[in-house]
Amino acid sequence: MTSIDVHELTKEYGTTRAVDRLTFSVAPGRVTGFLGPNGAGKSTTMRLVLGLDRPTSGTATVGGRPYTALDEPLREVGALLDAQAAHGSRPARDHLLALAAANRIPARRVDEVMEQAGIAAVAGRRVKTFSLGMRQRLGIAAALLGDPGVVMLDEPSNGLDPEGIIWIRELMRGLAREGRTVLVSSHLMNETATFADHLVVLGRGRLLADTPMRDFIEAHSEPRVRVRTTDPVRLRAAIAAKGHEAVAADHGRWTVGGARAEEIGALAAAAGIPILELTDESASLEQAYLALTADATEFAAAAAETPLQEA
Amino acid sequence: MSTTAVLCSEWIKVRSVRASAGSLLAVFVTTVAINVLASATVGQAEADNEGADLLFGAFYALNFGQIAAIAFGATAVSSEYLNGALRVSLAAVPNRNLFYAAKMTVVAGLAVAAGLLTSFVTFLSGQAFMGRYALGLGDPGALRACVGGGLYLALMALLAAGLTVVLRSAVATLSLLIPFLLIVSFVVGDVAGGVADFLPDRAGQQVLRQDPVGALGAWSGLAVTAAWAAAALLAGWWALRRRDA
Repeated sequence: MTSIDVHELTKEYGTTRAVDRLTFSVAPGRVTGFLGPNGAGKSTTMRLVLGLDRPTSGTATVGGRPYTALDEPLREVGALLDAQAAHGSRPARDHLLALAAANRIPARRVDEVMEQAGIAAVAGRRVKTFSLGMRQRLGIAAALLGDPGVVMLDEPSNGLDPEGIIWIRELMRGLAREGRTVLVSSHLMNETATFADHLVVLGRGRLLADTPMRDFIEAHSEPRVRVRTTDPVRLRAAIAAKGHEAVAADHGRWTVGGARAEEIGALAAAAGIPILELTDESASLEQAYLALTADATEFAAAAAETPLQEA
Repeated sequence: MSTTAVLCSEWIKVRSVRASAGSLLAVFVTTVAINVLASATVGQAEADNEGADLLFGAFYALNFGQIAAIAFGATAVSSEYLNGALRVSLAAVPNRNLFYAAKMTVVAGLAVAAGLLTSFVTFLSGQAFMGRYALGLGDPGALRACVGGGLYLALMALLAAGLTVVLRSAVATLSLLIPFLLIVSFVVGDVAGGVADFLPDRAGQQVLRQDPVGALGAWSGLAVTAAWAAAALLAGWWALRRRDA
C-alpha cells in the first residue's frame, strides 16, 4: 500500500522557516493524527506533499513518487485543505464534476460521494448558500472522489455538527480499516483522541513526536492512581511509606501521583487494608500534548490559559 | 494526464459560473443591441459625414462588446483565485503547463466563437438600417472586418485572462483595463500619433476599417493586438509556474 514519506523537508517564506528539516512517514492501515499549535507547519506540510508549494529543500513523496508525477492524482490521493476553496457561485455538483472530469472519474462517482457525504439533496445548490458544515462535507466528498489509497484531511471536523463529527470519525476509521493511509490534522485534542492510532506532532515546523498515540500519552504524562478505601488513615500511611503521597479527592476518593494500580493494590493487600475501588487514571491526549508543546508553542501564553481537562 | 479530460474539466468550470457564461452572452447581446440602435437612429446621418469610414462605423458597438469580452476573460480565470480554489484545481491537475494551456484554450475557443458570431451578426443586422449607405459582405474589406472583429474580441478576452493570472483578481484586471480602454486610449490616441497606434485596442481596430489609418495595416494591426495578448498570456504562464499556489 501507499505511504506518505517526508524527508528533510524545509520550507521558508522570506525569513520565516515554516517547515524545518521535517522527516516522517505516514503508514497505511491506520489513522495518523497530525498535531501542532497554529503556525506549526501542518498545513504547509500538506501543501508541500500536494506539490502546491515548492520546498526550499527536501522531498515529499506519495508511494515513492512526487505528487506532481502522479498521472491521475485524485485516484491516488484525496485531500481536503480548505473547506472554503470552492467557487461560491458554482453549483456543488459542478464543482465536483470539474474535478472528476480532469481525472477521468465517471460522473456516477460524483453522485456516489455526494450521497456518502450527505449532501446529495443539495447537489444543485450554489456553494455560497452552504453552511460551513456543508462546505466541509463537500470538501470531504471531493477528497473521496477518486477512491484514493491516501487521504489527507486538514481540520476535517471544522464547522461540523455533533452528528457530522461522529460521521467523519467513523469515515476515517473505516478508511484506515480498508488499508488506506489517513493523515488528519487537528488542533482539537479530545477529538483527535477518538480517531487517531498514531501521532505526528509538530512545533515551529519541527518534528516533536512520531509515535503511537498510546505511547505518546504514556511518555508525556505522569501515571496516577485513584483509590477508595474504608481505612484512609492506614492507607495514607502505607502509601507515604513507599514515598508517594495520597491526596484527598471528592466523594471519599484519594489520588496518588506517580504510582500505578499494581503497586498500590499490592501494597494495600500486604497491609490488609480493604480497597473499595482502584483504577489507573490515564492522562488525556490534551494533557500529554500540552506537556510536550509547552515550550514549542508559538503562543505559549494562550495555551497556558486553556484549562486542563480531566481524563 | 489526458489533455481531453483536462479540457473537459475547464469547460465545466467556465459554463458553471454565472459571471463567465453571462459576460460571454453579454458580448453578443450588448454589441448587437447597441449597434442596431445606433444604426437605426444616427447611422445614416453619421455615414453622410465627409470622409466617414462606413465599414468602421458598422462596428461602432464593438467598443462596448470589448468590455464584456474583457469581463469574460477575467472572470473565467479569476474563479481560481477566490478562497484558494486554485489549490483544489492544481491538486486535481498538478501539471501546471497542461492546466494553464487547457484553461486558456477553453477561454480562447469560447471567445473566438462568441466573437465571430457577434461580429457577423452585428455587421449584418446593423447594415439593414443603413439604406443607401448599406454595405454587404461582398464589399471590399467587409468579410475581413467581420472575421477580424471576431478575433479582436477574442484577443481582448485573452489579454484580460493572462493579466488576471498575473494579478490574481478579476477586479484588479477590470480596473486596469477598462479605464485604459475608455480613457487612456481615447485621450492619448487623439493627442499623439505613432506610439498610440500600437496600443492594443487602436492597433487591433484597424482591421475594422475600409482604409486603415496610422502606421499599421488591417492585419498587421490585429497582429499587434495579438502580440499584446500573447505577452499577457506568457506573463500569466510564468506567474502560475513560478508561484506557490
